[in-house]
Amino acid sequence: MTDAPLLQLRGVSKSFGPVTAVEHTDLSIEQGDFFALLGPSGCGKTTLLRVMGGFVSPTRGSVWIGGADVTRHGPEHRPTNMVFQRYGLFSHMTVRQNVAYGLQIQRLAKSDVAARTRAVLELVQMEHYENESVTHLSGGQQQRVALARALVMGPKVLLLDEPLAALDLKLRRSMHVELRRIHKAIGGTFVLVSHDQGEVMSLASRVAVMDSGRIAQEGRPKEVYQAPASRYVATFLGEANLLEGERRGGVITLAAGASFPHDGPDGTVTVVVRPEQLELVQESAEDIAIAGMIRDIIYFGSHVELHVRLTRDQIIVAQVQDSEQVGDTLRDGSRVTLWWRPDPRKVLKE
Amino acid sequence: MPKGALLAVPATVVYGTLFVAPLAFFLVVSFWHASLFEIIPGFSLDNYVKTVTTYPRSIVFTLTIGLSIAALTTLIAFGFAYVIRFKAGRYGPVLLFMALVTLFGGYLVKIYAWKTILGIDGILNSALLGLGLISEPIDLLLYSSFAVVITLTHYLLPLAILPIYGALRGIDDLEVASARDLGASSSRVMCDIILPQAYFGIIAAFAFAYLISAGDYVTPRLVGGTETRMIGNFIESQFGMRMNTPLGAAMSFTTLVLSALVIVAVGTIFRLFLRRR
Repeated sequence: MTDAPLLQLRGVSKSFGPVTAVEHTDLSIEQGDFFALLGPSGCGKTTLLRVMGGFVSPTRGSVWIGGADVTRHGPEHRPTNMVFQRYGLFSHMTVRQNVAYGLQIQRLAKSDVAARTRAVLELVQMEHYENESVTHLSGGQQQRVALARALVMGPKVLLLDEPLAALDLKLRRSMHVELRRIHKAIGGTFVLVSHDQGEVMSLASRVAVMDSGRIAQEGRPKEVYQAPASRYVATFLGEANLLEGERRGGVITLAAGASFPHDGPDGTVTVVVRPEQLELVQESAEDIAIAGMIRDIIYFGSHVELHVRLTRDQIIVAQVQDSEQVGDTLRDGSRVTLWWRPDPRKVLKE
Repeated sequence: MPKGALLAVPATVVYGTLFVAPLAFFLVVSFWHASLFEIIPGFSLDNYVKTVTTYPRSIVFTLTIGLSIAALTTLIAFGFAYVIRFKAGRYGPVLLFMALVTLFGGYLVKIYAWKTILGIDGILNSALLGLGLISEPIDLLLYSSFAVVITLTHYLLPLAILPIYGALRGIDDLEVASARDLGASSSRVMCDIILPQAYFGIIAAFAFAYLISAGDYVTPRLVGGTETRMIGNFIESQFGMRMNTPLGAAMSFTTLVLSALVIVAVGTIFRLFLRRR
């Protein structure tokens, strides 16, 4: 079974009474993946993670890890370890006792426990706090201890349940770097649950975007970003402008005015345009340019977001470099023309 | 004076005048002696010698029955509080309310209730006879140590549930989930995560149950029969009929110190048991 995926969900569904949290989901996670489950709260991503960890038993379907059916095994009998959003550290123990706890349960030799605890505390850079009570630590430090406590077990799959959601932005960024470093250093398989698309983009090697209990799309983050399968995925993973249009005889005509060739059956389509695809042009002879009036300009330091009104009820967001023009010729009320290179992967038949 | 210390003044005054001062007075009196309905100041340990030589069986009985009642009460209360906190889900508050509502029934009401349940022609005997399980009523049910244990345990249960439940409420579900995730069996979760964090609640419940039952002399008189001579009964008669306040005081302090020792010992043993692992 060497080429079987490390972790597999087969037809897993989970209902809580009348509420269906996860609907018939198949999922394969390979050895070495940094896999992300992305979705808004209530989409079932945490339930799916808990099914993997053994905290929730699926209503139907099975869970396989390393070629073995572990569906009926509790968390204490699975080769997985979980890092919880609110850490779940043992409040009556020190940092070292927290990290050593799982190894002590395995009845390892004292010297082994001490050495492995020490090594993993060094990995998360918490070795100077080993005798502190965990209640005296900051959020970021507690998160590192929780991570160390799970990593020290050498899990086949490390499950991360929104581990950084409680931290502030700056700390979250530095933990992203940290997590990437740790993942590279130990080469393990990580499964991350997150509602933060930026986090997923910067960490994950694969992503599954979830929508009301189902996986809407799965793939490498770049693929999913560049070729979203639905309006939902397009708007959830990154910013997206959705432009309605009609395709007739291989040419798409947008309600906002532009048209460009695209093969496919006649009918209604939605074109996804990412804000960074749009460019400001003077006058364009090409068809794929749309004109509108600036409604709002939002300054982000490195770039500027232009909110441009195309028609009465369509506003498009463009991301452009900051320049002398901004505030001068580009002001609220200025008329601008926007152009982009049509991408056939971003045409949805909805 | 630190800021806010003023807030502690009323309680300190009440505690000092109504508890510490009388207690200190009786501590002094316990070294005096009584003679012909008169109390003569002095200093002798006679009263203490008399206490341990005259009432050793009663003291041992009191400490033993207090220990049994406190152990039984704490055990049942822990089980109940554990179910409320971890197993009952949304029915937890209902169970808690049911336990607390029994506090509305007074102390004496409960004693008389148990008299009607346990008596020779009480509910229990009638039921057992009616079912044909026994051929004649069991007279050991009432007027025995057994009756004292049952009655006091029933009375103390809600008082013991509260501190334990309070302590269990402070335990994060995630800590339990994490322990299981790290491979801990149910018994390890209990000994490593739950009991250490509920330690003070459990000891508080135990001390509560122990002190109230070891100091009780009403329950044994009403349901206890002749063999249950609690030290409290003798202390009461020293202060009352015998008018020997010094001896009564000495007996009281002996019991007080022994009770404190029992609680410290139980707390220490429990702590060592938890640390052993």
